Amino acid sequence: MGPNAVTRGRASTLRPRVVDAAWFLAPFLVLVVVWAVVVRAFHVPLRLFPSVGDVLQAGLQEIQRGTLLDHIAQSLTRVAVGAILAIVASIPLGIAMSTNRLVAALLTPILRFFAVLAGIAWIPIATLWFGYGFGAITFVIFNAVFFVVTYNTILGVASIPQAVRNAAASLGATPRQILVEVLLPGALPNIVTGIRTGMGYAWRGLIAAEMIATNAGLGYMLFMARDFYRTEVIILGMILIGVIWLAMDRLILAPVERRTIERWGLARRMGT
Amino acid sequence: MADLTIRKLGKTYFDLYAGRHVTAVTDVSLEIHTGEFVSILGPSGCGKTTLLNMVAGFIPPSEGEILLADRQVRGPGPDRGVVFQNFALFPWKSVLDNVAFGPKMRGVPREERQRIAREYVALVGLTGAEGRYPNELSGGMQQRVGVARALANNPDLLLMDEPFASVDAQTRMTLQEELTRIWEARHPTILFVTHDVDEAVFLSDRVIVLSQSPGTVRAEISIALPRPRTWSRMVEDAAFKALVARVLALVRDSNRFGAVPAPESPAG
Amino acid sequence: MEGLAGSAAFTPAWHLRAASCAVKWLDGHPGLKSFLPFVPIILLWAAIAHSGIFPRVFFPGPWDVIASFANLIYKGILPDYLEDSIVRLVLGAGVGTLTGIPLGLLIGLSPLGQRFLWPLIVFFQAVGDIAWLPILLIWFGFGLTTMTFVIVYTVLFPVVLNTVLGVRSIRLEFVRAAQSLGAGRLRILHEVIVPGALPNIITGLRNGLGWGWRALIASEMIVGTSGVGFMMFDARRAGQVTEVLLGMILLGLLWYVVDGWILVPLEQATIQRWGVVARTD
Repeated sequence: MGPNAVTRGRASTLRPRVVDAAWFLAPFLVLVVVWAVVVRAFHVPLRLFPSVGDVLQAGLQEIQRGTLLDHIAQSLTRVAVGAILAIVASIPLGIAMSTNRLVAALLTPILRFFAVLAGIAWIPIATLWFGYGFGAITFVIFNAVFFVVTYNTILGVASIPQAVRNAAASLGATPRQILVEVLLPGALPNIVTGIRTGMGYAWRGLIAAEMIATNAGLGYMLFMARDFYRTEVIILGMILIGVIWLAMDRLILAPVERRTIERWGLARRMGT
Repeated sequence: MADLTIRKLGKTYFDLYAGRHVTAVTDVSLEIHTGEFVSILGPSGCGKTTLLNMVAGFIPPSEGEILLADRQVRGPGPDRGVVFQNFALFPWKSVLDNVAFGPKMRGVPREERQRIAREYVALVGLTGAEGRYPNELSGGMQQRVGVARALANNPDLLLMDEPFASVDAQTRMTLQEELTRIWEARHPTILFVTHDVDEAVFLSDRVIVLSQSPGTVRAEISIALPRPRTWSRMVEDAAFKALVARVLALVRDSNRFGAVPAPESPAG
Repeated sequence: MEGLAGSAAFTPAWHLRAASCAVKWLDGHPGLKSFLPFVPIILLWAAIAHSGIFPRVFFPGPWDVIASFANLIYKGILPDYLEDSIVRLVLGAGVGTLTGIPLGLLIGLSPLGQRFLWPLIVFFQAVGDIAWLPILLIWFGFGLTTMTFVIVYTVLFPVVLNTVLGVRSIRLEFVRAAQSLGAGRLRILHEVIVPGALPNIITGLRNGLGWGWRALIASEMIVGTSGVGFMMFDARRAGQVTEVLLGMILLGLLWYVVDGWILVPLEQATIQRWGVVARTD
């Protein structure tokens, strides 16, 4: 055993991580360089595609004006509110539904039906019922998350082996205790996966909804920019949309999912 | 069929979890002659599978050389057939197509290779199952297909990596007898890796005992038991039992003390 | 289990037995099992609509929707719109799949390909298809090109991701077995890799179509001049809730049928024949 083996400790995990991050960013650097060169070399007009500088400038401008942060805040707020409402509603509902096999058999096809419909298809109805603005968009996001999470909750409970439930019952647990001590933790990996999937739907639905149903937010900013052929704002918006979702998904959602799955072992996924 | 020569073979790799270099195999030298059945025996983790993988060409050695018919071994190839512990049958191909795979790679036309495949399917006693798919077969049947597939390609050397470890005890004995029968009929050159002492003594002409990490040759024992061999006979045979006891002692010794016991003289 | 505690006064749970009988019977009739659950919902819907809690204008009943359906079929509008939507989807999905599978194979098999392409895939998936619409409109205007791009873009990611998973989940032993039987690299690709990844590829196709369908509707709503999505959006503008609901129901129904009766059986057939492999959503 080499002398270094014991002393490396924490530093030994940091360096590979930094290296990994660098490798991850490398293709983007290449892309940006190609972008800058192509726009320059072919004299691409602003109307067609912005240069790197244009985009950066637009970003600074919008930040200074305060509009950019405002749009981002609006989008994030809507997603958060809609998602939280949906999660709070769907988990209990899913668990309640899945304690009865007949109810599960009845409701699962319906949930599957609505899960596909989630998000975008709700926009027209949402604007009719709630008018334009916050209400409609939150409704769209709610639906995007609600059906998927409920479906996955039911799936999660169903994937708990009967033997485990029997064990709990034979140890004297009341139905309520079984719910809290067995069903909820047992279904958690699937629930978390459902939340992550639902958030993906929600983010995408959000952008689409903001394009047609409101006057603030990233989707709106994008769509408005089109009217004025401001490609630099459009590209700025697209990059932001990608980066924000990546940040949310990889830095928050994925670790939570991984940790629940790792702690509790095997997780079966939606569609199995 | 050809001779296999291994000289001072070694394998060291970097273990990410341990954070250091691990030597799996070191200073292994041996020779296998055409038509011999040689077993490599050792406890779990002694590097015998690593050794086999190197001979098969799946992993490169760190030191030493492997020569088959005086040619250096580089990478996998049809001259060394492999029978895997987990069968590794192509799940999307039928039994017949699995067995015909090697000939297909060589460019043998369809009718001819199916004929060859059928012959080998019959050799392992699976006539009638040609159209079935691997996941419709039991473990024992799957491994017979594995053997047929490797043999159908007529390799110079047949490598078997604990091939019967994944089946139950009864099936294992049946397969061992089948393998012996096939070998006694056709005499392929076989290098057989196992941790089961009974199995090694039953099947082989020679047993090579590998010590535990790093794996290195501790002893070579000739098995001069008469053939044909069957379990019903072996179970009663005194010479068999004596050999098993001796080999077992060697395996356990090399486990505990790591010291090299005095070289063994051939039995009887 | 069904939540029973140890109450001795509880008779042999006749309703539970009836329930599990019902479920078993349903299991034997998959067609009914898929559609029967909707009957109570439809009845509930009819009841709410009839009760007049919401004004008829906002909440039409099932019969209104059916009437509208019949009307639109008669006028020939609905079949046309459906055809438009489906053609776009098939075109986009086709291109997306034909591009996505080779891309996925490349990422799965080539370490360099993975290093370079994987982060890009992850990022562009995050940007999402809809966000591309404004720039696409500037470049190509309203029309088939824009919509096809969006659909191809959307279908691409599930196909690539699942193909990569499929390639990665092929057991090393299969490749080694093929190598030891004399197969060269191209042979291994076509005899081992592609069949080995096939169940996952089909899952990817299935997901891709699902996403593509949603993308289609979205883009028809925002930039369309025909198709089911457009119909829904246009009807909303005219305040015709009935047509909006009709559109939603059609969407759900179409997808439900295609997914449940064509795609899933296809997926199951390969998996059943060949044995279970790793899955992802």
